[in-house]
Amino acid sequence: MANIAIQRIKREFKEVIKSDEAQKCAINVELVGDDYRELRGEIAGPPDTPYEGATFQLEIKVPETYPFNPPKVKFVTKIWHPNISSVTGAICLDILKDQWAAAMTLRTVLLSLQALLAAAEPDDPQDAVVAKQFKENHPLFLETAQYWSHVHAGVPKGNSEFSKKVRRLMDMGVGEHQALVALSSCNWDMDRAIEQLFS
Amino acid sequence: MSDEEMEYSDDDFDAYYEEEFDRDVDHVDPQKNDPEYFHVACLTDTEVERLLNESVEQLSNSIQVTPSLAKLLLHMHGWNQMEIVAGYRQDCNRLLTTAHIKPPTPPQPSTSAQQGDGETTCPVCLAPMSPDNSSHLSCGHMFCKDCWSKHFEVQIVHGASTGIECMGSNCQVLAPEDFVLPLLKLPRLREKYQQYAFSDYVRSHPQLRFCPGPNCNIVVQAKECRAKRVNCTACKSQFCYRCGNDYHAPTDCETMKRWLTKCADDSETANYISAHTKDCPKCHICIEKNGGCNHMQCCNCKHDFCWMCLGCWKTHGSEYYECSRYKENPNIAHESAHAQAREALKKYLHYYERWENHSKSLKLEEETLAKIRERIQEKVMAGTGTWIDWQYLLDAAALLARCRYTLQNTYPFAYYLESGPRKDLFEYQQAQLEAEIENLSWKIERAEMTDRGDLENQMDIVEKRRTTLLTDFQQG
Ligand SMILES: [Zn+2]
Ligand SMILES: [Zn+2]
Ligand SMILES: [Zn+2]
Ligand SMILES: [Zn+2]
Ligand SMILES: [Zn+2]
Ligand SMILES: [Zn+2]
Repeated sequence: MANIAIQRIKREFKEVIKSDEAQKCAINVELVGDDYRELRGEIAGPPDTPYEGATFQLEIKVPETYPFNPPKVKFVTKIWHPNISSVTGAICLDILKDQWAAAMTLRTVLLSLQALLAAAEPDDPQDAVVAKQFKENHPLFLETAQYWSHVHAGVPKGNSEFSKKVRRLMDMGVGEHQALVALSSCNWDMDRAIEQLFS
Repeated sequence: MSDEEMEYSDDDFDAYYEEEFDRDVDHVDPQKNDPEYFHVACLTDTEVERLLNESVEQLSNSIQVTPSLAKLLLHMHGWNQMEIVAGYRQDCNRLLTTAHIKPPTPPQPSTSAQQGDGETTCPVCLAPMSPDNSSHLSCGHMFCKDCWSKHFEVQIVHGASTGIECMGSNCQVLAPEDFVLPLLKLPRLREKYQQYAFSDYVRSHPQLRFCPGPNCNIVVQAKECRAKRVNCTACKSQFCYRCGNDYHAPTDCETMKRWLTKCADDSETANYISAHTKDCPKCHICIEKNGGCNHMQCCNCKHDFCWMCLGCWKTHGSEYYECSRYKENPNIAHESAHAQAREALKKYLHYYERWENHSKSLKLEEETLAKIRERIQEKVMAGTGTWIDWQYLLDAAALLARCRYTLQNTYPFAYYLESGPRKDLFEYQQAQLEAEIENLSWKIERAEMTDRGDLENQMDIVEKRRTTLLTDFQQG
């Protein structure tokens, strides 16, 4: 790997773990392997959002041409958010694309992602189904996003009605995550979810 | 009458006379009576370069900025010098900020880490940098020259040129040509950069268009952006100046785009009609269409019929209107959704079939043209006349192609036209054009039996019908 990229990642790694945010456990980063090509990021769900109390794991891949090209980042932890794919974890965020600047750092990226969790951009969606629910049925979106945080990201409590519906589908032989996706994208309408799963 | 009203009527009076004057000019210039007249110039890249540089030089002299910045300003403002000069006089700072030449807030003292002895480190590569191996744009973000070079390289590989920004976080200040070029070491990159920038300049220039012809480097210049026909002098391709697609009068660019998208989406449903054969409506023998003309004659029973509607040709001549026009079901609003969907498909297929059929006829008539050439060749060899004597046949074939092309493009127009008197008039004129085109096609296919005067008369009629329709309905 190019020398500049290694120098930069070494320094940015230190910058993150020594930052105030890391002290407060809001962000963190770990090395994966020892060649600085890949890191594991972590961000805490911001307060007063359906992600509060959750911890999200991120896959960070450093390209050869870093920092002239942005790092490739995606969510490993499943999340229900208009700008993040509920299936692949791919992120739609300008600074990870054309608004990247070589002077930005891993810390900038992690903090920007945390800010994205607090302020979604439903008009520039990565996941069209989530974005539609966000705009047309916002209370249900908040409930759903909170429930995903419960199922996937370590939040202790979640909507018990949703749990019952997921369990009913699981009793029919559907996997838990598959059931969650079907119900979430059908606005928790049991009949439509069944139709979607079995047609 | 108040004074104010008096003033208005004076103005009206002037306007009236100006209009009269314009009309006179129209009469003087016969080309202006041609609804398809459009003046363009086909320029080489050297000529375009010269044209752009003239604007750059003028602007750089009149507002005292470097040619590089003048170029950037022109690019951002659609090459409108007057707008830039006015903006500069009014609020020069705002002009330069909105064009991303200056930062919105004045530069802060260098943000990079001071290392005590006055030396700083480059925020990108973290290596020490001195004033002579580093540089910055108007925003003051200082980076080492190696990093600038790498940044430009990566950007150019992504296809960027005029839009390359500073490397600072959230800084949108643009790097002008004279900043980028000296930092590009590889000649190959410099070339790419200049090539991309040139394309960007042509695209932002309202009077310039790249010729869409394959591998053609010509840039077409026109004073106005209109949906008119352009013939490229270099590659001979024909296209619409406004949208760059195949020329499509009388239909406008947006309608044409909708139509082509629809045709692509519905291609499966429409496929069944693209067959080249139909059965004779009288003796039911299978007949293959091998000429462009829609007036068919059964080789078996000699029945004359119309390829499109299979109606009898004799009555057809006077009632062509009934063939080209789509008769909508007047009670459709009360029918079921299913019936409405079927009706919508029927309507689309009616127009699509005719559109598609004329496109096929155009291709078949190209073959006819080749045959005409052969026949002329034979005649000339046999001593019956010279090429000049038979030129009128080639002219007739060229005219037929032009007219059928226009006719083909009337179908998307009619499809999207709302019912009413305007549509009635349009379909009437369309039917007239259609009838005369088929007459001409019939006569050309049987050229030996057709009298020259008769043919030329028919040519005249068809072209008149075509220009009338274009004058009355062409948009854009
Ligand atoms: Zn550097
Ligand atoms: Zn800057
Ligand atoms: Zn060309
Ligand atoms: Zn056009
Ligand atoms: Zn027959
Ligand atoms: Zn017919």
